[in-house]
This record gives sequence, C-alpha cells and structure tokens, in this order.
Amino acid sequence: MDLTMIMVALVILTLSAVLSYKFHALGLIGAVIALLIGLNTCSSFTYGIFVFAIGIINLLSLSALKSDIQGVDYGLVGLMALATMYIFNTSDFALVLAALVLVSVPTYILVMLREGGTNVEVGIKYITFMVLATVLFLIGAIILVYTKNAFNGFLYVLGYVMLVLGLCLEIGVAPLHEWVPDVFASADPIPISIIASLAKIVPFIAALWILVYTACDMTGSITIFTVVLAVISMFTGNIGALTSKEHARVLAYSTVAGMGYLLTCLVVAAKPEFLYLALTGGLLFLFSNAAGKIGLFNAIKGKGAYSLLTFILAFSFIGVPPLMGFWAKLFILITLAKMQYFWLIGIIVINSVISIPYYIRLANELGVKWEANLTNFICLAAVIITLVTVLFVPVEWFVTNMEAIAHTVGIAL
Amino acid sequence: MNMLIFLLLPLIVAFIAPLLKPKSATYLSSIAFLLPFLAIIGCLFNSCPPKIHLMTFSPPIGEFYLHFDMISHAFGLTICIVSAMIALYALPYMTHRFGEMELNVESEFRKYIFLFDLYAASMLWLVYSGNFVLLYVFLEITLITAFLLIYTYGYGNRKWVGILYFLWCAAAGVLTLAGIVILAFENNTLALDVLLAGGTVGMIAWAFIFFGMIIELPVLGPHIWLPWAHAEAPTPVSALLSPLTVGLAGYVLLRIALIDYSFIEAYRMPILCYAIFSSIYGGFSVFKQTDFKRLLAYSTVSQMGYVLVALCLGPFGFIGLVIQYMSHAFGKSILFSCAGGIIAVHHGLRDLTKMGGLHDSIPQISNAAVLGFLNLGGMLTIGMLGEFFILRGAVETFLKPESPAFITWEGGLALIIALIFMFILSVWYGFYTIKKVFYGKPKDTKRLEISGYLYVPLYIIAIVSVLLLFPPLSTALIQGLNAIPGLGLAGGVLP
Repeated sequence: MDLTMIMVALVILTLSAVLSYKFHALGLIGAVIALLIGLNTCSSFTYGIFVFAIGIINLLSLSALKSDIQGVDYGLVGLMALATMYIFNTSDFALVLAALVLVSVPTYILVMLREGGTNVEVGIKYITFMVLATVLFLIGAIILVYTKNAFNGFLYVLGYVMLVLGLCLEIGVAPLHEWVPDVFASADPIPISIIASLAKIVPFIAALWILVYTACDMTGSITIFTVVLAVISMFTGNIGALTSKEHARVLAYSTVAGMGYLLTCLVVAAKPEFLYLALTGGLLFLFSNAAGKIGLFNAIKGKGAYSLLTFILAFSFIGVPPLMGFWAKLFILITLAKMQYFWLIGIIVINSVISIPYYIRLANELGVKWEANLTNFICLAAVIITLVTVLFVPVEWFVTNMEAIAHTVGIAL
Repeated sequence: MNMLIFLLLPLIVAFIAPLLKPKSATYLSSIAFLLPFLAIIGCLFNSCPPKIHLMTFSPPIGEFYLHFDMISHAFGLTICIVSAMIALYALPYMTHRFGEMELNVESEFRKYIFLFDLYAASMLWLVYSGNFVLLYVFLEITLITAFLLIYTYGYGNRKWVGILYFLWCAAAGVLTLAGIVILAFENNTLALDVLLAGGTVGMIAWAFIFFGMIIELPVLGPHIWLPWAHAEAPTPVSALLSPLTVGLAGYVLLRIALIDYSFIEAYRMPILCYAIFSSIYGGFSVFKQTDFKRLLAYSTVSQMGYVLVALCLGPFGFIGLVIQYMSHAFGKSILFSCAGGIIAVHHGLRDLTKMGGLHDSIPQISNAAVLGFLNLGGMLTIGMLGEFFILRGAVETFLKPESPAFITWEGGLALIIALIFMFILSVWYGFYTIKKVFYGKPKDTKRLEISGYLYVPLYIIAIVSVLLLFPPLSTALIQGLNAIPGLGLAGGVLP
C-alpha cells in the first residue's frame, strides 16, 4: 500500500513537472500534493512532518529563483522530499539505496540553476564529486551486506571504509570537503540551501542503517576511523568558518563542521541498543541544520533578513536551549556518553565554543530591519521549525518515535 | 495558591509587558517578581509541596519537575526581590540610556523589558528546576538574554564585550552540559530527587561541571570576562549579572555536591587554597581600579571566592554558601545600582579619580552604598550569618579530630586566619571605596535632583537583607536549611 501511494505521488510529480513548462504553478501544486501523500504514508509522523516542513520551505524558496526550468525544479525538490520521507518505510536495502540515489541525482541539476542561464562550471565540479561519492557508498554498502552473509574481515573493513568515505564526500566531511566551499560560494544560494538541508538526511540514515545491520565484532574498533574523520571535520570546518569572510563560504565551512558532529552518531553501530538516541540526535541535528541553512542562505539571496530571525537561527546552530540545535547536540552527546567516548565529548565542547564568533558575526551582518518580503517569510518559517522544541513535549514524541522505528527495523533494544 | 502559578507569573509577564507603556510595564514586571517573593516567604513558615511534576522524558533524561526545598527558596527569594527592585530602578535609568544612544524610548523599552523579564525569570526557574536538563536550559537562557542586553544596550565596545561574555559563559555552559551528559550515562536519569536519593557523580562528570562552573563563578584565571561584562553592561543588567547570575554557578556546584561530595573530598585542599587566593587576589585588585563598575566587578571575583571556599567546608559550609549568595546578591545589586545612579546623575561619571565627596550631592545614593558594603563585609546584615557558617564549616572540617579532613591545630588555625583575612579584606576595600567615592573633599557640593526610582528600591533590598538577620526570618531560613539532608546538623543548629 505504501509503495503504491508513493508510486501515485511519483506520477503526480512527473505529470506536474511536465505540465509546469506551460503553467509554472502546476509544478508547485503537484509537489505539495506529492508531499502530502508522502506524509500520509510516512511510518513516523513526527519525522515526516519535519521533512514535509523543510520540503515546503525549500519549494517556496525556489520562487525567489527565476531559473530556466522553473516548475520542473519544484518536481525535483518534491522528489527529494518524497524519497526522504519514504526511507523509514522500508527495511529493504535495495530501496534504501534507491532512495539515496533519488535524493542525490536531482541535486546535480539543481546546483546548476541560476537566473538567466546555467552554472555549468559549478555543476561539473559538484557532479564529479557526487558521482564518486555515490559509487563509493553503493559499493561499500554492497560489500558490507555481503559480509553479513559470508563474513570476511578484510572485506568488512574495505566495505566500511568505502561506505564512510562515500558518505563523507556526499555530505561534505573533511578532509573530503574540497567541493563544499567552492560550490557553496559560486552557486546560487537557493539551490545550495536545498543541497545543504534536504539532501543531507537520506545519506545519514542509509549509512546508519547499513552500518547497524552489518555490525560485527570488528565494528567497535573500526569506528575510530569515523571518529577521527569527525574530529578533523569539526576543526577544519570551524577554523575555516572563523577565517572566512564571504557569507556563503562561512556557511560552507559551518556545514563541514556540522557534518563532523553528525558523523559521530555512526559510532552507535557497535551498540545498536542506543540507536534511537543516535537517530534522535542525528535527525534533530539535520532538521535544525536544514532550518538554519535555508534561513541564512535565503538571507544571503535577499540581501539580509530580519535580525531577530538571523540571531535565533544562529543561536540554534550554536546549540542554545531550548532551540532545536540544543536538543540535537544533547542527544548526540548522550549517545557518545553511552558509547563511553568521553574524550570526544570534550572535543565537541571545544568546537561548540569555537563556532560562536562566526555565527554571531553572520547573524549580525545578515541582520536587517523588518520588511514584509519572501526572504523574511522563509526565515520566519525556518525559525518556527527551530522553535518547535521550546515546549519540550515534541522532543519526547520524537524520541519515542525513534524508539519505535528502531524496533520496526528489527533492531533489538 | 499553587507555587507553579507564582513561578509562571514572571514568565507570562515577560511576554505581556512589552505590550504596555514603559511605566506600566515596569510596575507589572516588579509585581510579577514581588508576588513569588511573598509566596516564597510564606513557604519559609508553612510547608509547601516538595515537587510539582511537569512532564516525563524517556531515560536517561527522566522526570521534569519543580523542586522545592529551602535551598531553592533561599535562592528564589533573593532573585525575586532583587529582580523586582531592579525592574523599578531601571525605568529612569534605561530611559536615560536610550536617550543617550539616540534610540526611540518607547519601542526600545519593549525589547528591553522582554529581555530583562525573561532573564530574571529564567534565573528563578533555574533554582527550582528538578532536572539537570531543565536547569541547563534556564542557565543558557540567562546567558543569551544577558548577552543580548549587553550587545544591544551596553557601553563602550559593547558588541565585543557581549561576544567575550558569550564565549566564556558558553564555554562554561557546554562544559557543564558535558558533565551533565556523563551524569545521565552514570545514573540513567537526570531527575534531581532520584539523584539525591542515591545517585553518583563520577570524577569525569564532576571535573567537567566543576571547571565549567568556576568559569561562570568566576574565580581567578577564568575571571577575564567578568570585569568587562559587568562594567560595560547597562547598569540594571550589571545589577542582575553580578549579584544573581554568577552565583548560580555556586548553586549548581552545591546541588552536585549534595548528590556526591567525592570530588571535593578528594581535592579539598587545592580547591580551598585556590579559592582563598582567588578571593584575596580579587580583593586587592579592587584597590587598583579606576572605574567604579570595574571595581565592583573585582569585588565580585573576591566574593565568589567565598562561595568556592564554602563549597569545600562540608555541611556547614553549604549553609554558608547559600547565605553568602544571598548577602552578596543584596549588597552587589545595591552597589551596582549606586554606580548607575552616579552615571545617571553625574552625566556618565565612572572614573574614580574624578569622584570624591559625592555624598554632598547625592546622599541618598551614598547611604545606600554604605548598606551595600555592609552586606559584602558581613556586618549587621544577613552576610554575618554567611561568614559565621563559613567559619563554622572550617572549624568542623579541619579542627575536629573525628573529621576525615582533620589537619593539625597549626594548619587549621592558619586556614582560619586566612579566611578571617579574606573577610576583613572585603570590609577594608568597602570602606576604601566609600571614602574614595562619597567622602573626602567634595568636587561639587550642590545637592542634585535624583529620581526616587534610583534609590528607594535599593533601600528596600537593604531592609530585606537586615530583616533576614533577625528572627523570625533568619530562624525559619536556617532551620529549613538544617532540615535538608547533607546541610548543617540533623535537628538544626541555630547560630
């Protein structure tokens, strides 16, 4: 039934994208309908509603970009959001990997969008890295799943390393982050806000799923590889952002640092009983990161946004409670404590403090007086997402939901 | 009436007050803190429920609830009365400040009063938080609101100072959070009542929280941010930041010590010596200052040394810590307000070299400052009880042969002499400051007009600080503190 509804949503997306060549609004309407169907079929409502909200804001922000394929771009974002919602509905690895490809490929086109033409140079750079990332990820995943049935230590290590490197390339973890600052700084801020938000969720979930499913006795010792990459990424990202002046470049490095925090969640593969904590931390982190990136990239596009909104988004990035960024960091730290990575907690503490000056600088420089325009409206929507956790109860709902999801995919708690 | 309603009042008012005119908003804010103050006074004499459930989180976070005991009440009543009075004091002061900054008074006051109320209300909620995550949430809200107030309305290079403050206190906060997370790992809950009933705090968790909180206090070393932040903040913010906020680090350390005292027991002597040295260093630094607000900031470093000293002195020291927080809060809020009064009346005067003989022109402020220093010096105010319990703690800890920390009589006496010197130093720099600012040869003998808002609230704080020295308030407070497991003697000992 789920898959049938998803197919219906895909047909609607395709038709509306085709027809949007004539009537642009049809692309948006089709994407919204597809997302509503996706939300209705999503196995976790609290997860689905966040993805839905991020998808809708991404769709609305596209209105600020008059690209040559306006209308079709809505379909592409709709497709990404739909695949992101679907990921929790399946424990079939073929479909998990298909979702990864469905999220990745539309970004190849989106990254080239700009007003009055296409940004081919940026596109080539981005696509080269992404193809390499996807190939590494897929081969790594296949090797890991193979070792589940016929264990081979060497193959397990090879698969693990390839999968993690593929993930790092895909989401922009240092030292494989070369494409991030250049692409973020040269492409239009609107497609970048989509790449920096919606496109990050599925690779993380897919990697976590595969690593947990294929975990073996060697997992505990090999996670140090992931942890080292995470630490390098945190420092590279934060130092890069501190020393950058261009706003888009600061956000690019902030993504590199953020993906370092996210990568630490993968350590849970060695102890799946804490998977729900890592999922909660990782996903809340991705949602708060998405809200922040959408808001601030739109502020760059709109030459500034209302200062109160830019400051709230910056505070969420820093991890100030009770904003969503805080809960994300809290659950990531709890996961690390459960895994007894106390030294890594110390590293995160240092990096959290390092990040403060550039976020405040960014909020200050992008902050302007209130004006009723699309940029402020989008920033406001992003801020509302980060404020959802102020009442505490949604966080508990989310944790409970993640526990249930961990159960449904067959991981004993 | 339910304590929850009284505690919700300031939070609700934070959102309502910005809709009103400055004067109405000020009165409403003040009342919003006075009502819980009266309710807490009621709790000193009548028993109130030990907890109010808010919600339950999945492990390892645990239950969110409001925790009511005499420690929370002591901190809570201090926060309420100081916040209520400073809200009144701020009306003319901030109006003057907005004028100085060429801002629209009415629209800026809306932003200011929202941040001020939220700042004070979050401190109040912090001390009643029955879960360490909830406590951390309110700790960080105090940080953000204070940062925004400094960043927006501060003096000098306010943006730089704001970021300096934010960086240091965020570092303190994140270190504490790391400790809290490890605490959660060790106990599978962060609910205070469960932890108090048998929780453990391992050395790593203790170390994270301890180092985080000594930045927040702060003591010598991590104190760099404090003179800048306290001096450049708008004075009503300084009058909350120094008296109320920094001492909350002592509150957090006390709560952790009541769960598990092992870290302090293991490192008691180095921490104690460091605290005494820090206090004496802060005290002597006061004499070198030429800016009145910076002088008061260094006095805070000295006074926070007392808090850390008290933490090392066992059950009686804990009572000393609580009372020291109260007396410092009363004294320092009066003194920062006096500094602000001088700024408002004497057109931005802060330079001590240009002061002297101000008593002739503003006796109301001068007399209030004397009362403020009496609190810091522990004379005729609740500060006396604080010093008594700190000394008692030192005697019980180091001079009783049955105490595990017993040292030789010579060593114990040397320590007590150091403590007494620390107390005397406060009195010394207090009189030095009064003489330098308010007495001596007057530069201007003309009596100046001064708004009642700028001094009447200070006398009300002073009256509360004196009333708390005498029964029935002092006896109710001390008996209540003695009744808490881990504090004082079982059965209660009155000074």
